This record gives sequence, structure tokens and C-alpha cells, in this order.
Amino acid sequence: MAKKRQKTPTSVRKAGLTRRQFVGTAAGTAVAGAITGFPNIVRAADPTRTIGLGVSIINEIQGQASKDLGFPIRGQALGYGAMFGKMLNQNDQYEVAEGYYNDFDVMVPAKVWQPIDTKRIKQWDAVTDLCKTGRLTPDSNVGQGDAPFRHLWVDENGDRVEGPSRYITAVPGWHNADSMGYNPEETGRKIDSWAELFSDDFKGQVALLNVPQIGTMDAAMGVEALGLYKFKDKGNMTREEIDFLIDFLIKKKKEGHFRAFWETFGQSVNLMVSGEVVLESMWSPAVTAIKAEGVPCIYAFPKEGMRGWHGCLSISAKVTGKALDQAYKYVNWWLDGWAGAFVARQGYYMSVPDNVKKFLEPEEWDYWYMGKPAAKELPDPFDTIIVPEGEIRDGGSYWDRFKNIAVWNSLMDENDYLVKRWTEFLSA
Amino acid sequence: MVDQVVNGHHGGLIGSQPTPPTTAGEAKQFRREAGFPTGWLIAPAAIWLIVFLVIPLISIVVFSFWTSSGYGMEPDLTLHHYGEYFHNQGFFIPGDDNFLRPSVFIRSLGSTFYFALVVMVLCLVIGYPIAYFLAMQVKSFKWQLALFLLCMVPFWTSYLIRAVAWIPMLGRRGLFNKMLMGLDIIDKPIGILLYSEFGYTMALVQLYVVLCVGPIFFSLAKIDQAILEAARDMGASIFQIFREIIGPLSLPGVAIGMIFIFVMIMGEFATAVVVYGGKTSTTGTVILNYYAIANYPFAAVNALMLMLSMMIGVVVILKIVDIRKEL
Repeated sequence: MAKKRQKTPTSVRKAGLTRRQFVGTAAGTAVAGAITGFPNIVRAADPTRTIGLGVSIINEIQGQASKDLGFPIRGQALGYGAMFGKMLNQNDQYEVAEGYYNDFDVMVPAKVWQPIDTKRIKQWDAVTDLCKTGRLTPDSNVGQGDAPFRHLWVDENGDRVEGPSRYITAVPGWHNADSMGYNPEETGRKIDSWAELFSDDFKGQVALLNVPQIGTMDAAMGVEALGLYKFKDKGNMTREEIDFLIDFLIKKKKEGHFRAFWETFGQSVNLMVSGEVVLESMWSPAVTAIKAEGVPCIYAFPKEGMRGWHGCLSISAKVTGKALDQAYKYVNWWLDGWAGAFVARQGYYMSVPDNVKKFLEPEEWDYWYMGKPAAKELPDPFDTIIVPEGEIRDGGSYWDRFKNIAVWNSLMDENDYLVKRWTEFLSA
Repeated sequence: MVDQVVNGHHGGLIGSQPTPPTTAGEAKQFRREAGFPTGWLIAPAAIWLIVFLVIPLISIVVFSFWTSSGYGMEPDLTLHHYGEYFHNQGFFIPGDDNFLRPSVFIRSLGSTFYFALVVMVLCLVIGYPIAYFLAMQVKSFKWQLALFLLCMVPFWTSYLIRAVAWIPMLGRRGLFNKMLMGLDIIDKPIGILLYSEFGYTMALVQLYVVLCVGPIFFSLAKIDQAILEAARDMGASIFQIFREIIGPLSLPGVAIGMIFIFVMIMGEFATAVVVYGGKTSTTGTVILNYYAIANYPFAAVNALMLMLSMMIGVVVILKIVDIRKEL
């Protein structure tokens, strides 16, 4: 999942608030305070603070939201560890948390967020079933692991309940499915199975993602595809399953199978661009970045299914009154389509596709969502042309792609044990 | 000059040290005469250290005994995390594969230690001659300064850039491979240069060697030329001079340089990711991984063990070289 992707890491951005506006507001507040003695009476709206990864916290997005909503939204993009820590330990430092369902085994019991009332989410009925039932279309498979629908429903106290309820943990947002990227000139063949990650043909030229929770799932898919082992639930492995997997990985590592383990988006791009690897687990925007460097790269669509992840918007438990109204407005704004169209141009999907369609040109909609060849050159969100005419995305339409999610990014019950064994794998 | 040498303090190129008060009586008198309670001068530093070092340190110690709840900590005291740190499944069970195998966390610490030692030795071998050349061979102070600044040039860019710069040098399509192929030494690119122990060690040495050049240069520059001249007049050979005079007098600089490098490398984790491709786990990465899953007590245990081993390392270095006496 593209969770460590950041355009400008850990920078606090004053979204959409020009310096002039800011000075004006500050001066107005000061004057009002001095004259009336009641500083809170004449005052511009307090900013709504939102934190997340660089995937959803982007100057342009929060800037547009400030413009549309009439109050400032201040986004802070963090690295994954910092985001996790801040969401969990400092819920007075943000109003909105732009998190991911796979962290909810930690976040929900900690009660750092308040249950969100779906009655206050205007577009709730338009949100697809992907997060509500786990099935985007009636004939879809329900993926293993921390699928969003397993973490969505709560009661008014924030305790988990099965199935539909009036209250939810977080409003479903941007999401995608990850797999592998490869250089077709170097591999010499089409890659359509996770088993290829361990093929001897690519020995010493393979990279894995160095995030234990996700890296093990990619590896588990490879092991399963090879027919070496059958995991009961790849999203929640037992100790025996973890042991089998890590022992296999250690054996492979000692054979010199892996070239490197990458931690950030940029590293995964560099590994392929510099010719160090020919096949690696990858996040979809990396393919575009690699191609922009003139290196051929294809995003594999493995037959075993992809690994899904889902971003979402939560509201801190500390937020009340006017700040709460603002937080709800911002969360609702994400579903209106502008933000969805913005992230669509980076290859991500949104939980209300119908609204996204309104903000995309027909050619863009056909390419990004319908999986058709690009009818013309298409830009990324920053107006750089990244898709040449005639190009087509592997994996078909959004609905085809999400019909077959093998496993969702997850936090396992045996997470501590997993991290320990992963440490052993790295130092082997 | 002669007096100073007799007292054990001598002027050098960089300038002489003020003679410290030799008896407690004199020191007391000095304080009275100043008319200002000098103890207050350390107050800002003391407050700073208490707030930003002592208190956080105590809380790390306390947290290491708390219980991890899966989503934070609870103040139930437990030794569980220490057990987890030291104990390895199958350790000391006869016949088990792990019979004499310490836990992965101790092994991580061990490999961190190993890299620190290797890099320290290499830095000394490379750094000492540089410092010696600067201090002893370059006669003009201006040139000394200029060349010393030249050593510092790489430090004008960020640490990460310097680490990343090794990739186009050592990579499969990198400069070294192109060179070796151009010279017909190899016929296809070799992968061992990058994402390997070799590349990692090389990068660490380059990143940290200047940390020891500085202190060694300063302690060499302080050596009074008159002593060397006297030794030569007495007929001492160049090796004797080095063994009897230059070597011992430069030891404090060597010790300080080694402490710098040791402490930096023990806390290292970024270079391992960039240049070693994350294929090793240092104690730094272990702490980071457990922080990322909110197991703060276990991260605290690792942090404490790292600190303890750093302290032991520094004490050992200081035992070998008595900096106070030598200065």
C-alpha cells in the first residue's frame, strides 16, 4: 500500500490560507480582543486539523476543501510510524484522522476516536458495498484479513458490532490494490502469479517490502501460489504459519535471492530504475514514476488476487461543538467527488465512484475506472502528462480488480511474534 | 615555555591550555574574588538536561517495565519484555538447534557492535594518516585550516544524500562496475558491491571518518615541536619519536574520535536501509519496528540495552586511554 508516499514529508501545510488572509484574520482577532475584551466573539473559524500519510494529505486537496467549505483545513502529512503514534497518543492534536482500516485493531479499542453517525454523512447511501459488506459486486470474493467491513460497524459507544449499524468507526475513502511491478525487458515474460517472487530465474534481482505486516502477506501469497503451504487466513496467521513462512524466507535469503528490502516509495522506484531489481512488490503509483524515468515497467495482475488497502476518515474523541460540525463537513466533502477525482489521477479509487465521475473527463473515467485504453494523453493531478494515448491499465476495471482481493492489509493477533521473526529474517 | 613543559602543559600550534587551579584552596579563593556564585552558571544546562534528558530517560526505564496492551501501555509492572529480549526459544535445551544461540535481539545488538568495531578500526587506519599529514607535514597554519575545511566539504550536504550517493557508485550499473568492465577485469556487473556487507562498511567509513580526523588532528597539532626537536637532537629515530612521543600524546584525540564513531554507529539505522538494502537489522531498526506497532515497552527495553552497551563501550575506551591525564 502506498502509505509511505510523501511529496513533502512531515510538513505542516497552511492549506488554502494565503498569507494576506492569515494576517488579516490574526489582526482582526487581535483588534476585536483588545476593544471588546471578548476575543471569541468576532473571530474567523478555527482551522480543522487533519493528519495522515502523503497519500491523502496533499496541499491541493486540503486547499480546495478550505475554499469549498469556507474554513481553513490544515493538513499534516506524516510517515507511517509517526502517523500511527500521533493518532493513538495525541488525539487532542487533530480533529480528523485520515487513517487505514488495518490499524483499527489498535485504534478502535483505544477509543481515541468517536463513533461517526451515518445520519450525518449525506452520501452514505451512495458509498459502495465494498466497505459495508466486503463485496463490491454481488459475485465478489470477500478478502482475508482486515477487510474494511470487519472494522466498520460500531454502536454509539464505539464498541464493535456485527453488520449494519447507525454508527461507524470511519468514513470509507481512497483505496487501492497492490501487487508486484516488473521490468518486462529483463524478465522476458509476463508475470501473472505471486509465485514468481521466488522464481530462481530472478535470483538476486528481487526486492520485498520491508514492512513486516505487509511484506509477510506478499510472501505468503508467493508461498501459497507455489503450492508449498496453505494458510488458513493470510491476514491473521498462526505462530506455526509464521514460522513456516519465515523459515522459507530465511532459506531464500541465504541463497542470495533478495537484492534488497525497501521501505519507502522512492526506494522501490530507484531499485527498478537503477537496474538493481527486475521484480519487486510495489505500489501502483511507483509504476508511473518508473516509466517517467524511461524504464519499462508493468504492474502485475496476479491470478491469485491482489492485496487491498483502504484509507478512511475518523474524528477524534476530543472534538465537540462547532469543531465537530466542521470535522463532519470536511469528512462529507471527501465524498463529494473533487478529492476522489484528484486521487483517481494517481491511480487510487474512491468509495463513491459516481461522484468521482462528475469531476473526471470521460476519457479519464474510462482509463482510470473502466480499464479502457486512454483515448488521449492524460495528466496526473499536478497537470503533468503521465499516460500516453492508447495505454491501458492491467487488471481491468475497478470492479474487476476489487472483485478478487486475496487479502487486505492487516494487523495480526500474533503481530509481536511476527515482528520478532521478521527481525530474525532480516538479520539472517 | 620550559616551565610549561615541566608542568605537563605545553603550548602548541592551536594554542596552550590555561593552567587549571591546582589546589582546592586556590579554587575557593578564586570563587570568592569573582563575587558571583559560579554554580548558577550551570543552571541553564542543568535544567535543559533534566527536562530533556533525565526525565525522558527515567520514563524509558519505567516504561520498559510496563505492560503492552496491544494499543499502548498499562502501568502493570512486569519483567516480561526483558524475558522476551534475552530468552530464545530452545536456548540451553540440549539437542535443540538454538542450544547456544542467543535471542535475535542480542544478535542484532551484537552485529551492530561488530560493525562499529570494524568501522572504528578502518576509520583509525584511514583517519590517522590524514590527521598526521595535516598536523605534522603541513607547516603553514593557513594551509592546515584550508585542508581541514576541505575534509569537511562532504559534510556540507545532508547525511542521507551522502549515503544515497553510494548507489550510483557501487550499483550494478554504477561507476565501479563500469570501471572494472572497462578495464576488462570482469565481464559482467557484480552485485556484491552494493546491498552487501562490503558496501555498508565502506559507506559507514566514508560517512564517519572525519569524526576521528578532527580530534586526532587537534591533539597532534598541540604537540610542541620543541619536544620533537629535542628528541631528534638526542638521536631518536622517526619510529622512536612516534612510539614515545607522538603516539601517546595523540591518544586522547584517538579516544575521542573513536567514541564519536562508536556512539554514532551504535545508533545507526538509516545507512543500513539505504546502502545495505535493509538486509540487516540493527538495534535502531528493531526499536523503530516495535515503535511502529505501539509496543513501546519492548522498544524501551531495546533502547536501554543499546544505551547500556554504548556506556560500556565508552567506559572501555576511556579505561584504555585516560583522557584527563593525557590532556
